[in-house]
Amino acid sequence: MFSPWILSLQLILFPLFWRGIYTTETNPSLALTVPVTTVFKSAVLKGDSLVEKVEILKPIDLELACTWTGNPNKLPNITGYWRKDGSEITNSRLTVQLENEQYNLKRVFRITGDTLGNYSCIFSDTDEAKIDFNVAAPEMDDKKDKPIVAYVGDSVAMACKTKLPPNTWLWYRANGTEQELINATTDPLRYKISVDGNTTKLTVMNLTEEDSGVYVCSAIYNIKASVSRVEVRVITFMEPLKPFIAIVAEVIILVLLILLYERWSSQRSSHSPTENGVHAEPTHKLTREGNNGMDENTTTRQRKI
Amino acid sequence: MSPAPASILRDTPPDGGWGWAVVFGAFISIGFSYAFPKALTVFFKDIQLIFGASYSQIAWISSIMLAAMYAGGPISSILVNRYGSRPVVIAGGVMCGIGMVTASFGNTITHLYICVGVVGGFGLSFNLQPSVTIIGKYFQVKRPLANGLAMAGSPVLLCTLAPINQFLFNQFGWRGSFFILGALLLNCCVAGSLMRPICPKPTGSQLTQTNGTPKRPTTDRSEAQVNGHNTQLEKGCLENFNKFLDLSLFKHRGFLIYIVGNAVMFFGFFAPVVFLAPYALSHGFDEYSSAFLLSIMGFVDMFARPLTGLMANTKWIRPRIQYFFSFAIIYNGLCHLLCPLASGYGGLAAYSVFFGIAFGMVCALLFETLMDLVGPQRFSSAVGLATIIECCPVLLGPPIGGALVDTFGDYKYLYLMCGAVMVFAGLFLFVMNIYNYRMLERERRQEEGQVEEGCEDQEQGLGLRERGEPSSEEQGEAGNEAKKQQIP
Repeated sequence: MFSPWILSLQLILFPLFWRGIYTTETNPSLALTVPVTTVFKSAVLKGDSLVEKVEILKPIDLELACTWTGNPNKLPNITGYWRKDGSEITNSRLTVQLENEQYNLKRVFRITGDTLGNYSCIFSDTDEAKIDFNVAAPEMDDKKDKPIVAYVGDSVAMACKTKLPPNTWLWYRANGTEQELINATTDPLRYKISVDGNTTKLTVMNLTEEDSGVYVCSAIYNIKASVSRVEVRVITFMEPLKPFIAIVAEVIILVLLILLYERWSSQRSSHSPTENGVHAEPTHKLTREGNNGMDENTTTRQRKI
Repeated sequence: MSPAPASILRDTPPDGGWGWAVVFGAFISIGFSYAFPKALTVFFKDIQLIFGASYSQIAWISSIMLAAMYAGGPISSILVNRYGSRPVVIAGGVMCGIGMVTASFGNTITHLYICVGVVGGFGLSFNLQPSVTIIGKYFQVKRPLANGLAMAGSPVLLCTLAPINQFLFNQFGWRGSFFILGALLLNCCVAGSLMRPICPKPTGSQLTQTNGTPKRPTTDRSEAQVNGHNTQLEKGCLENFNKFLDLSLFKHRGFLIYIVGNAVMFFGFFAPVVFLAPYALSHGFDEYSSAFLLSIMGFVDMFARPLTGLMANTKWIRPRIQYFFSFAIIYNGLCHLLCPLASGYGGLAAYSVFFGIAFGMVCALLFETLMDLVGPQRFSSAVGLATIIECCPVLLGPPIGGALVDTFGDYKYLYLMCGAVMVFAGLFLFVMNIYNYRMLERERRQEEGQVEEGCEDQEQGLGLRERGEPSSEEQGEAGNEAKKQQIP
């Protein structure tokens, strides 16, 4: 879904058309009282389906332009229409003419917090060719599906990151269906929130078992807030201690077994001296130097562990 | 170079029997040594977050661990020379365990540097050197196979440790994982207990031989005494130091060729592994496919190592094993040079397969060739000195590669550089080994000529010769002949 050139398009479009985007407007409901800018977004379809992601930070007029070049039939006129979230937008059917080997369809939408969704332009021939535009607030970067594990008395850190910095970041503690705002200033010994542009970090210190649960980070944009959930599990040190002791016991047992086996097999072979002869080959001219007496010593010395 | 007929003492390595248990122990030890620093990267992201450190600060943990592992080589050699393999490996296992357990209680990144990096790294070096050394003591005829099997521990343990680490992290967080990993590392002690000592140090033994393999069990030249001469031990400090670490290796032709060639090779050895996944990502493949390439490589590596050992054991290759090693390095370099031509995921997957084979071949032969050059007795010191010299290129290789990527913005130049470096190293080793083999052949013929001159002279001369020089497997220094001339 994220194609790289979409991001480069956004990078070109945003500074060109949206100068006001990085102002910190604290009141999101001012949406319709400030002048609304228009953003142009276009896509070219070669096959029969394409999905584009459009990230919106504040209420705008969005002009979506679709171009279809892949029609095998090349009829002079086909029907084109728009859908929002799967259902056809009324009075959006148009006749599209073939110009320069392509079909073009364009429409302007007013995007606010309520009208975010999936907009599709459809070219209707014998089959349907469509481009989907997912118009939404920016999503969080890394999704955490596994709980973070931390220990009683320790501290835990959670981070959220988006591509574009929001107006503010807020952290909540989720209790069932309710969400309780975390205020770092009232409780500085327990919570620490740091914000660095498009990332935020919540550190919870002096953990107790009641701190287990779901934490929600919320990136507030003018248009809507984008959220991400993180689960934290607080355990005591007893939990890793059990596998630790099990493994240490296994190591000790194995080492003892191996050493005992060695002693047993060396005792066994020292009772049968004929085995010693196998290893030493006495026939060599060097043995003439009086080593014969030494052979016995050396072979028995091998038996020492 | 076929082994000479065994002489006295415990000279014939068993080549089997308990030796296979030792290979298994070495498999575990070597596996932990190489795989553990790489497998730790699973925890870095979380540690980075909680300590508020940057990625490069965290990456230092792995680097310090690797550096300590290589730098600890000489210390490890000295200890092995003195006490044998078993106590050192057990001590190493205990050190690693203690290091990881104390690291789990850490609150600063420096604490992690010391506990995981320094203590853990030294512990791993006490695992690596003795394991490789003891294989040389237990095997002679089947030694390349044993080496290949033992070195296969690295990819096997990496493939098992990575998912284990991930599981531990999900269950227990990073602190609990480090705690449990400390216990897991104690299994190195089990591996160490398997390494039954062999060839204990004799005093007053006469060993040498006219050609082929001398089986002096220790590297203590000073202990090689003619009956009753004990003056060696009273000689100066350097002599005593040589008792522990054989610095005369620096005059050994084969050893010098080996370290120069290997030092150059290691510059380009690890960087392609480190950058394989980012290279695939830069081609537009997703994270899982890129990581899968590394898995392919690791999987192929697992089988390539024992197979290479088997191949190197055959009677056609064993005598020319140095050429085989050079060929493996050149093949490795060629793979990298051809990598930029690979297009599409299939091309990269094929590259991963070939690279896995090449990587496994080089690793399997790495210590075997050193053993072949210096002989099992001096191997312990040789490997310690070799690892500390290789420490530098191993650590510098990936950052230099990274700098290349950053400067040119393209991974192509990284692969070209690595390929060129390795092809050059391989060619250097090949040419120098042609020269070395020829010199050894000449020395061997001269020795044989000497032997025929008179058996009686031999006996008297033996005493003098032993005192004078190391009698290692293929070594025949030019000084030999000169000394022999002086024998009355």
